[in-house]
Formats: sequence, structure tokens, C-alpha cells
Amino acid sequence: MEEERKAAAGTGSLTGEALEAEDVLAGAEPWEPIETKLVLWSFVIAIIALVIGLFVVPTSVLH
Amino acid sequence: MTERKWYTGMTTQEDWWAVWLGVGFFFLSLFNIAGIDLVGWITYPTKWVFSVPEGGKGAVGHAFYALGKKYSVTAKGFYKGLGWWSVLWTYVVFTIATCIGAAFMKWDLKRFFVGWTLIYFMTIATWFIGHHAFIAANKTNMHKYGLSFALSLGGGGSFILALIIGLIIGNFFKGFANYLSVAAKPEWYIKTAIVTLGVKLGYLPIKLAGMSQKLGKKAAELTFEMFFAGAMATIVAYMVFWPGVYIISRLIFKLPRKTAAVLGSGISICGVSAAVATGGAVKAKPVVSIMVAALVVVWAVIEMIILPGFFTHVWPKTDDPLVAAAAMGLAVKTDGADAAAGAMMDEFMRTKIEVDTNGAVKWPEGIITAGAVMTKVWIDMFIGVWAFVLAMVWVYRIERRPGERVPASEVWHRFPKFVIGYFFCWFFLLALYFGPGKAGAPEAKAFLKSVKAGAVPVEKGMRKLFFMLTFMSLGIITDFKKLKEAQFGKMVWVYFVALFLFIIPMAIIIAYLFHHGMQIPNIAEYVKPGA
Repeated sequence: MEEERKAAAGTGSLTGEALEAEDVLAGAEPWEPIETKLVLWSFVIAIIALVIGLFVVPTSVLH
Repeated sequence: MTERKWYTGMTTQEDWWAVWLGVGFFFLSLFNIAGIDLVGWITYPTKWVFSVPEGGKGAVGHAFYALGKKYSVTAKGFYKGLGWWSVLWTYVVFTIATCIGAAFMKWDLKRFFVGWTLIYFMTIATWFIGHHAFIAANKTNMHKYGLSFALSLGGGGSFILALIIGLIIGNFFKGFANYLSVAAKPEWYIKTAIVTLGVKLGYLPIKLAGMSQKLGKKAAELTFEMFFAGAMATIVAYMVFWPGVYIISRLIFKLPRKTAAVLGSGISICGVSAAVATGGAVKAKPVVSIMVAALVVVWAVIEMIILPGFFTHVWPKTDDPLVAAAAMGLAVKTDGADAAAGAMMDEFMRTKIEVDTNGAVKWPEGIITAGAVMTKVWIDMFIGVWAFVLAMVWVYRIERRPGERVPASEVWHRFPKFVIGYFFCWFFLLALYFGPGKAGAPEAKAFLKSVKAGAVPVEKGMRKLFFMLTFMSLGIITDFKKLKEAQFGKMVWVYFVALFLFIIPMAIIIAYLFHHGMQIPNIAEYVKPGA
């Protein structure tokens, strides 16, 4: 039963049965280095896209 | 781990059935190119009132119509006669289609049929009530319905109403809700709607080509600038939004990793769709997607009520209308609420500039709305891309443990399949636009009109109906007692802090960087006085 429930969760399926009264907001795992990498890389991509965008988009504040 | 083939689930998963439904009806729509309109029967509501004022509009008898009445090239007369019967046509065709899906997925077909029927007609009734002019009209058009006050909720009112009615059933009529649960499948319905959103994206240049011809070269250039600036603004915004919300969720509110990931996508990208897509990608518990989806709907309507007035009268006013439009698209998290808020702001700003300049400046209708939709469209495209990136990170980095082998095929199995249907419809229409459609050239006008006749019922009627079904089903399966036990209130605060203290200010700054100074053409000299 537990296995089946896990499988259902794996598909991200939204069903009434899947709406378990479990606390999905507690039990935060410790912050791991991979998360630092994930957010840092996102910010780095944002900065690169911003710089490129400001130069190439004719309507940006740089023009 | 059980070895699965690449095609595993193609006939048994909701994900794939969203593709089959969306792409199937998209292909039916293409018969219009051969002069056969097979989708014009799809029903759509319009605003109505009990007693129509003289010279006004909104007769109850016209509250639902077949979209072919407006858009069909070859069968306009036939579809015009359908009126309310289009509701029944839509029921019959979609019932056959969804029951085939239910049978393949090995659901209890009899219960699905009865449940689907009840949910469908409750949804239609809600859609009808939600389009009463008191709820849906705004101050620019309420006079046409003989009203001196309206709630100005646009189509968003119907979404909220569907959610409320679903929640009432789910929380106060639990036996009934349990019976309906076989057919209350919000994930299936929303994914189907997302596939048809691909049709909307592909249809956009076809629609804008028509707008550009009307507005001339200037407007065409402006459209292109908006398209380009919107793309860059969205990339920057998304790459800032997601990690920002993730950090807020994880470090300030101490949420678990998967919950923070789903919340980050829900608040950052396209709300409900992104929450579901990311939930699938990181294998979050389904309750997380439900909670985020419910919050997205509520907050989007609150934004829809606040932001048009704020941007028009506080900042940037009419000095930078396209900054406001782009910011709207980046900040409001559902397509419906964003388009409605953009349309409302379009009306507010055009009225304001005309009054402020004593009629010396008039802006054409729809450009501000298009600006709001443009950034939203780009954001929509991130649903699939970001779900894919997160699936990669979760499979190869976060969940991988020493010694554990993660088969490459797992990435494919986690990939949200409905995204394939979404991109397929989009690129297919784009190919038609640039190929036989000759990028909107006058000689291809008839061809593009036939494509439009098929695309609109799918991208408008079918998509909105499936959104409505999603909200109704979402309410039906949502038991607040369970959500309360899961500390739903905490997530409300995460959303509030992330949206108002981070997303909206950043959206304004980024929209400003790429759109500041863009001017809408003044058409005052072409418009007859009093027009």
C-alpha cells in the first residue's frame, strides 16, 4: 500500500486519496551545497542574461 | 528499480492522455484548412443580464454560443444556430473523448461517466453564473448591461466561483465528493489545457499579423520590440524569481526541499501549471501541488484587482504603459487573471491619457493587453524547460546517493509529457504561419483565416473549459481539514511575502530595464472626434 502511494506520488498525480493529512511543510532537510550551486547558477545566468539583454534589446535602458 | 520502456505509460498515464486529447483536437481543428470545420461547436460563455437595457446587450439566450459562430469560415450559419445547444455538443464530444481515456487508464468507467457528467454540468452552470455582468463586467463596459456597478472580475470570477463550489462540495458533502473523485482529475484537465496553450502560442503571431496590418508598420515594429524585450525580461526575471523564492521558502520559512521547489515554480512561473509540472519533475507529494495551485488562484485574483489601478494611478501611470504591461505579465501568475488584468489596465490607461491630454493623445486598444500577455507567454514557455532542468538536478544531484545508479531513462520518465504536446502544437502552427501562411502576407490571408477558424475554438473554448474543470475538480478533492493539518496557513504567508516583497518589486524593476521609454503610437489624428 505504501509502495503504491509512493508510486502515485511519483507521477505527481492529484487525487483525493493522495491528499494525505501529512505535514509537507515541516521536516526541512539541511541546506546542501547542491542547493547553493542551484541558486547561485540561476543568479549567474540571470546576470549574464541581463547584461546581454541590455546590450542587444534595442528598447533597453542602455539605448 | 523496475525497468521501464521509453513508451511505458503512453496509453495508461494522465500525462500522455493530456497529449492525446490536446493534440487530437488540435488536429481536428486543422481540417479547417480543407474547408471542414470540425471544432466550431466548442461552447463559450459571454456576459449576460436578466433584463437587457434598450440598445444594450447580454440576453440570457445568448449566454453560451458555439465559437464557430464567430470564427468559422465554412459553417458559420450552422454554428450560429447552435446557441445553448453548443453546451450539449461540447458535452457529448468531450464525454466520448475523456471516457476513451478513462477506459485506457482502467478507471471505473461507469463512475467516471456519471462523475464527469455531473462535474461538467456543474462547471457549465458555474461558468454561466460567473459571466453574469455584475461579476464579469467592468466599469468600461457595465453600462452596456444596464449596470452602474460591477465587480470587474472578468473571466477570473468564474474560476474563483468554480473553486469555491468545488471546495463546498469537497468539504461539506464529502460522500458526494468521494463519489465524484473518480472524475475529479485536476491534473489531467490542467495538462490538457496546457497542451491547448501551445495552440494559443502558435496562434499568437497569426493574430498579431492581423493587428499589425491594422495598426501599420509602427505597430508591427512595436510588436516585434515587445516580443524581443519580453523574452529577455522573462529570462532574467525567471532566473531571479525561482532561486529567490526558493531561498525565502527554505531559509526563512524552513520548508522542505521539494515543497520549496514546487512553491518556487508556482510563484515564479505560471502558477497552477508550473506547480503541477515541477511537482511531477521533483516527485513532490501531490498535496503540495494542490496547495500551491489553490494559493495561486486566490492570489492571482487579488493581484488582478489591485495591480491595474496601482499601475495606472500610482506608478508608472501613463508615462511608461508598456513597463506596467510587462510587469503585469511577470507578476500575475495565471493566464486568465493576467490577460484580464492587462485588458482592465488597457482600458484604464487609454481613458486616463485621453482625459489628461484633453483628447490630444489616443492609444489603440489592445497594445497594453498584448504587452501583458507577451511576457506571460514567454513565462509559459519556461514551464517545460524548468521542469526538465529540475528533473535533471533532482535525479542526478539531489536524490543521487553514493553507489546508487540512476538510469538515464529516469529523466525521460520524469519529463512532463504534456509539454511535448504543448511544444508540438506551438511549433506546428508556427510552421504553418511561416510556411503556407507566408508570415502574414496579404496573399496568405485566406489561409491564415482558415487556420484561425480552427485554432480559436481549441485555444479559447477548450482551454478555458478545461481550466474551469480543473478549478472545480481541485475544489472537490481538496479537504481543508487535511490541509489545515498540513499547516496550509504557513504557505499563505510564504506566498504573501514572496509575491509582494520580492516578485512584484523585481517584476517592476526588470520590466523597467527592458521596456522603459517604449511608446504606443498616437492615433488621435486618425480617429474621428467622438469615436
